[in-house]
Amino acid sequence: MKLLEYEAKRIFSGYGIPVPKGVLIREPEEVAAHLPGLGDGVVLKAQVDVGGRGKAGGVLFADDASAVLTARELFSREIKGVPVGEILVEEQLPIEHEYYVSIAVDRSSRQPVVLFADAGGVEIEKMAKEDESAVRRVVVSPLLRDIPPFLMRELLGGAPKELAPVINSLYHIFQEKDAMLAEVNPLVTTPQGVYAADAKLIVDDNALARQGIAVNRDLSEREREAEKHGFSYVELDGSIGVIGNGAGLTMSTLDLIEYHNGRAANFLDVGGGAEQERVMHAVRLVASMPDVAVIVVNLLGGITRCDEVAKGIIAAGVAPPVIVRMAGTNEEEGRRLLAECGYRMLESMDAAVKAAMEVVS
Amino acid sequence: MIYGDKNLGVIVQNITGRQGTFHTELMNAYAREVGGRGVVAGVAPGKAGREVHGVPVYNTVKEALAEHDATASVVFVPAGAAGDAVMEAAHAGIELAVVITEHIPVHDAMLAIAYAKLHDCTVIGPNCPGLLSPGECKLGIMPAHLATRGEVGVVSRSGTLTYEVVDELTRAGIGQSTVVGIGGDPVIGQTFVDVLARFEEDPHTKAVVVIGEVGGNLEEEGVRSTDLPVVTYIAGVSAPPEKRMGHAGAIIEGGEGDARSKVRRLRARNIPVASRPSEIPGLIREVL
Repeated sequence: MKLLEYEAKRIFSGYGIPVPKGVLIREPEEVAAHLPGLGDGVVLKAQVDVGGRGKAGGVLFADDASAVLTARELFSREIKGVPVGEILVEEQLPIEHEYYVSIAVDRSSRQPVVLFADAGGVEIEKMAKEDESAVRRVVVSPLLRDIPPFLMRELLGGAPKELAPVINSLYHIFQEKDAMLAEVNPLVTTPQGVYAADAKLIVDDNALARQGIAVNRDLSEREREAEKHGFSYVELDGSIGVIGNGAGLTMSTLDLIEYHNGRAANFLDVGGGAEQERVMHAVRLVASMPDVAVIVVNLLGGITRCDEVAKGIIAAGVAPPVIVRMAGTNEEEGRRLLAECGYRMLESMDAAVKAAMEVVS
Repeated sequence: MIYGDKNLGVIVQNITGRQGTFHTELMNAYAREVGGRGVVAGVAPGKAGREVHGVPVYNTVKEALAEHDATASVVFVPAGAAGDAVMEAAHAGIELAVVITEHIPVHDAMLAIAYAKLHDCTVIGPNCPGLLSPGECKLGIMPAHLATRGEVGVVSRSGTLTYEVVDELTRAGIGQSTVVGIGGDPVIGQTFVDVLARFEEDPHTKAVVVIGEVGGNLEEEGVRSTDLPVVTYIAGVSAPPEKRMGHAGAIIEGGEGDARSKVRRLRARNIPVASRPSEIPGLIREVL
């Protein structure tokens, strides 16, 4: 789950990484009371989970005279369709230089990877593409508590040594907060020292509980409902509902629909153990989407009880036709139960998807 | 037989859990069928002295290995403790840990895999179905009846999709040498590169099916690393673009983790890419 900038900055601050002085406001008028503490110029940053926030108009500058008006303006905006409910008002820093630093999980080496660039800012991605050497990278053994000095020297190159403790603190945050990504862009130098001018932190969804995060904000209400049943679920915009077991097989079913020029209404992976009740909930959830005209159920596994699955489909009793492909134990009993109630069970996923295409075309 | 044969002695960690108990029986049923050793001991802290389907249970891996000759472990320990279980196994001398558990925090996975490496312990998974060498051994939860012995290796990030492909191959009369599910998590012990290197050393494997997914570029890394004939399938070409993970992900992967560009790059290297699972047997025949 992605944290908002102000949440990430609170954590950064707790680890001794300097961040600009700032306050969070929820009403434009609140800004006035805080201006004396923030210096001559302020920057107002919409707290929305949107990439490219600055370019999309989510960051505005103001002085004492214009601060309230500017806050009003920002609260009235939608940033890439997301309304602004909170604004972080910060002092403007006298920036000397902008750097880029991030720590992520490197799939290839299975270790944390630290990326650093001498030129930070919004164009970092483009720059990295054009010139690979613009971004330096080191991988750090997860067995180490700190980034060792020799790796830090390699990472920083000619950049000021003052950045090192900040980057090491960021590494501690990455480890201790179960981060998938910890990013500072830009990391700035000023006459008063180094500051994290922005902050991005994405927490591993599998570690939310031990990080004390009760609700995953990245999920919609329906997705959360699905999560309660142990499903992983994504809504799409087609008319063919899909229920599968295992992410790969379910994705593959979606791909097959696209291959036949159809459009899937959703992705629903029921997970392990497709018992009667779970299957019933899954079928009902998918059928509850207004555009669904037909549902494809594709379940495969050595231990999938086909009779249980059949009973779940029948118990769901939904209006759209349900086309079933499943393989596992008690296949014959499952087929008999489904046939009795007028459902079709087909031999292959190709056949099931083709049958669904016939319904919608 | 790239990770072991009939003679492989196996332990199961958290053998008293629902999954552990159930799959211990299935693994041993397979071992009896092929005349292998199968699961010789189980581990469950505080439950020493019990038996699960005739398999003796010990409190620790160390105690189990003191009494039994085993070099592999299948880990069914719940997510929060699974990383620790892998380290325990590696520390006690286990050479191969197959981690079935899903939802392990990625930092736990990184730590456990790094620690296991220090102890020369190979980790498969987490979040994987395990491996099956038809006629030799089964470690994990793959449905053995779909597979037949043959000369095609299968390596995959997915579980059920692997069964689908194995089923397609078997129906087409193409047997498998070893089927390995390496797991769908961002951080996994054995990647395509590692498994393909073993297939290359294996006299029983003549070609390999590589089943990938959206995310990362490990499939390409693997395919580039081997001289064996390879057929690929990448799931997720219709997946909507994932939520952006900041700049770092894009910089690391060069913005090329999505399935479509993976398929494009593989085809550019003249690697056959199946558009759907049912095309795989035909493509395998062409490369054999």
